[in-house]
Amino acid sequence: MKKVITGNQAVAYGVILSRVDVISAYPITPQTTIVEELSELIASGRLSTRFLKVESEHSAMAALIGASTGGVRCFTATSSHGLAYMHEMLHWASGARLPIVLVNVNRAIGPPWNIWSDQSDSLSQRDTGWIQLYCENNQEVLDTILQAYRIAESVKLPVMVVLDAYVLSHTSEAVEIPTMEEVDQFIPPYLPEYPIDTQEPMSYSMIATPENFLEFRYKVQKAMEQVPEIAKKVEDEFKARFGRDYGAVERYGKEEAEILLMTSGTVTSTSRFVIQKLIQKGVSVAGLKIKRFRPFPIGEICNVIKGTKKLAIIDRNLSAGVGGIFAQELRAALYSREEKPQVFGFISGLGGRDITPELIEEAIQYTMDHPRPEEEILWLGLKK
Amino acid sequence: MTNPFVFKGASEMPKISISLGDMEWNKTGAWRAQRPFYEDKTPPCRAACPAGNDIVAFIQKITQGDFEKAWELIKEENPFPGICGRVCFHPCESKCNRGRFDEPIAIHALERFVSDFSSNLNKKVEKISAKRREKIAIIGSGPAGMSCAYHLAKLRYDVTVFESSSSTGGMLRTGIPSYRLPKDVLDREISNIEALGVTIRTGISFGEDLKLEGFKDHQAIFIATGAHRSRGLHIPGEKEKGVLSGLDLLRKINLGKKLKLGDKIAIIGGGNTAIDVARSVLRMGKKATLLYRRSKEEMPAFEEEIREAMEEGVKIRYLVNPIRIQQKDDRKRLECLRMELGEEDESGRRKPVPISNSNFFFEADNVIIAAGEEIEVAFLPKGMERREGIVLTQKDGSTGIKGIFAGGDLTSTQRTVAHAIGSGKKAALAMDCYLKGNDSEEAIRQILIGEGSSLSIFRYLHPGERPMNPHVVTFEELNMDYFEPSTRRRESKSPAKKRIKGFGEMTASFTESGALEEGERCFSCGTCNECENCYVFCPDASVVKKEEIFSHQVDYDFCKGCGICFSECPRGAISLKEEER
Repeated sequence: MKKVITGNQAVAYGVILSRVDVISAYPITPQTTIVEELSELIASGRLSTRFLKVESEHSAMAALIGASTGGVRCFTATSSHGLAYMHEMLHWASGARLPIVLVNVNRAIGPPWNIWSDQSDSLSQRDTGWIQLYCENNQEVLDTILQAYRIAESVKLPVMVVLDAYVLSHTSEAVEIPTMEEVDQFIPPYLPEYPIDTQEPMSYSMIATPENFLEFRYKVQKAMEQVPEIAKKVEDEFKARFGRDYGAVERYGKEEAEILLMTSGTVTSTSRFVIQKLIQKGVSVAGLKIKRFRPFPIGEICNVIKGTKKLAIIDRNLSAGVGGIFAQELRAALYSREEKPQVFGFISGLGGRDITPELIEEAIQYTMDHPRPEEEILWLGLKK
Repeated sequence: MTNPFVFKGASEMPKISISLGDMEWNKTGAWRAQRPFYEDKTPPCRAACPAGNDIVAFIQKITQGDFEKAWELIKEENPFPGICGRVCFHPCESKCNRGRFDEPIAIHALERFVSDFSSNLNKKVEKISAKRREKIAIIGSGPAGMSCAYHLAKLRYDVTVFESSSSTGGMLRTGIPSYRLPKDVLDREISNIEALGVTIRTGISFGEDLKLEGFKDHQAIFIATGAHRSRGLHIPGEKEKGVLSGLDLLRKINLGKKLKLGDKIAIIGGGNTAIDVARSVLRMGKKATLLYRRSKEEMPAFEEEIREAMEEGVKIRYLVNPIRIQQKDDRKRLECLRMELGEEDESGRRKPVPISNSNFFFEADNVIIAAGEEIEVAFLPKGMERREGIVLTQKDGSTGIKGIFAGGDLTSTQRTVAHAIGSGKKAALAMDCYLKGNDSEEAIRQILIGEGSSLSIFRYLHPGERPMNPHVVTFEELNMDYFEPSTRRRESKSPAKKRIKGFGEMTASFTESGALEEGERCFSCGTCNECENCYVFCPDASVVKKEEIFSHQVDYDFCKGCGICFSECPRGAISLKEEER
């Protein structure tokens, strides 16, 4: 059934269809309507999920760590400062190998105070051991949540599903909503690997001395390394059942192009439009959508950039002192490869400023005009 | 398992850090810098009890439903729970830590309950047969003398009590009206002492019928003749007919003697005797007015008694001082001065000062003077020192004369039943030490309760049992997180209109469920009641329970000394001390 719904509603549908047992969340714009929608369904008795009210995002994640350890499927949603406040618990969830799914609605972090979209919040959490998936439209949001539980519960790592504030969270689009029966066949019930048994009490996540700690982290990395293969298997099955797929990365535009424009989130949709226009004008350009940020999909990227001379990246985030985080990750990953295209790192759209077709065209034009970037950071649309 | 788990590598390890074995190999007790241990401390109620009752212990027995054992626990220290439960001024309740939280425990009512409950069982008191050869004489059968006799009998002495009056009990019988202390309660508790083998000889007046020389075959004597003489006002007319002393009047009423009184009675004084007189004459159908020279705040009578007296219709006129009693026709005419409060006097109360030219007259049929009591000194043996109206004794109750001890109202200005009971007990053990040639001061020092205002004879008889640190537990040392506010239970009381119809007891004993409920309110300050909070909270599972039985033991192999048991104990029954290494 198709419905015209917002991105946040698409999240709520995804959660309902995934048969989540426990939700714990604290309100924050622009995420709030997700848990509002869910809590109202629970309060009215139409959804039997247990909703735990808490006094902070830190507690929300802590509560889910408890619930997930107890062996049930968990969900939370947050944004910006709320995600930052969870930081300690995000590490705990991945270290404890708990398959929690979190939706983060991308929002800038203050100050200055700002409620609009950029990726600084989720990318600040890149080292917490969470899988991160960035969505381009509302359909992808719903579909990604369903896949996220499958991936999380297979590799025993938590997954963060990310969508842009307002452009997706509060904008309505037509979304195909699968039936409960269909999803039940796709997502089996969750079976914890180390269930709590009061007859056989155990300590969980207790101390590991220097003798063992390194090995536990090694195992987390190994689990991350399984993600590309498992995510592909999950998506293949998803496609077979529902007819849609997205990939960790997606190349579009000219099959052989000198310039490749790399984007994530909703900027990709604008880029599709610009690139199509430029190709019609005879420009040798193609687009590359990055959906999965963690684990960083360098293998998938390398498979689709053969022959590319220049790689332009638009980062809607800033790691002050370095530049765009996608650009930084990409440069680091390419370093050991034979084929190393020039990387042009653009920063644009921070704090929710629109990344317009004109700005995207400007970025492509700059990349065409220069053999290599004149500066490490190329500001797009900056009013000097 | 006795050794830590060792993994060869990641392939052997679980995904997360979980306990695959146990930690018993890790004797975390070695980390301990401070050591918790179970140590009962002195509850403030017990520290405040002049009779030394083990209050928390008997309330714990009540909460366990073992009322008889509760009675036995009181009787270790005090033979008069039925009397104290009714007439004691209960300083224990004023000091009760629960009073800082909501309302103090109704300790007196619980004491009365266990006494009434147990006496209803009609158990025969066993006579103590095997006796020591020493004979001890006790002069006076009031609370001091009988308490002394009771403890001496339990110490197996041959005890004879001499009483000048025809009946026993001293002030308990003659001074306290039966609406507060029914005579059968008094009789029952005195006869329980007699049943131990104590001989009581009434109608024998010390100094007159029996001189000191007559006690040649007694190795020790305890004199507790009380303070039965009314203090005069030293005003004109107080010796005239129709003017009575408060104590005389109460004695007559209590002994059932004939009395001729008019309708309107003026009572001069503000102490408990004045109140007892006023309420007694009210019960004889008279009108009673108290004339007191200070204001309500300075009145020495107990507040509750004042309140009850006023409920019943006793009038009180404050800041009034009679200076002359005149005869006017058949009636008495009191000339009075109005007073105002001046500077504080040595008692800490503001001193009444007459207002000049404020003279007025107050008419009544009879005037009762209840301005305090004095001791009788005429019969006292030579060599007993006296000062400021009392006989002087050493800390152990001994007097200047070898073998003679004294106690009760005779030796104290704190003239309460509980103080008398405490002094009789102290004398009993001092006499025991004296007769055995032991150092009584040292013996007393060993068994003092709390800061030392009373002592425990149980500890004298059973050294080392039920030890109690003398530290008195403060409210701040308790953990209020574990208590819910609750209302103090009150004994049901008949309405004032009904009360004044006669001398029947005005309050009723708690029901069993009432006693259980009130007992549950007790914080059990400083005394473990096995709530098991420590057991639940100990993060190292080092509080030991053996087959569901709480052992009051800490497993020091594993206790890290975190102190959680100490801070989560609701009642301060766990102590911490620095670990000595």
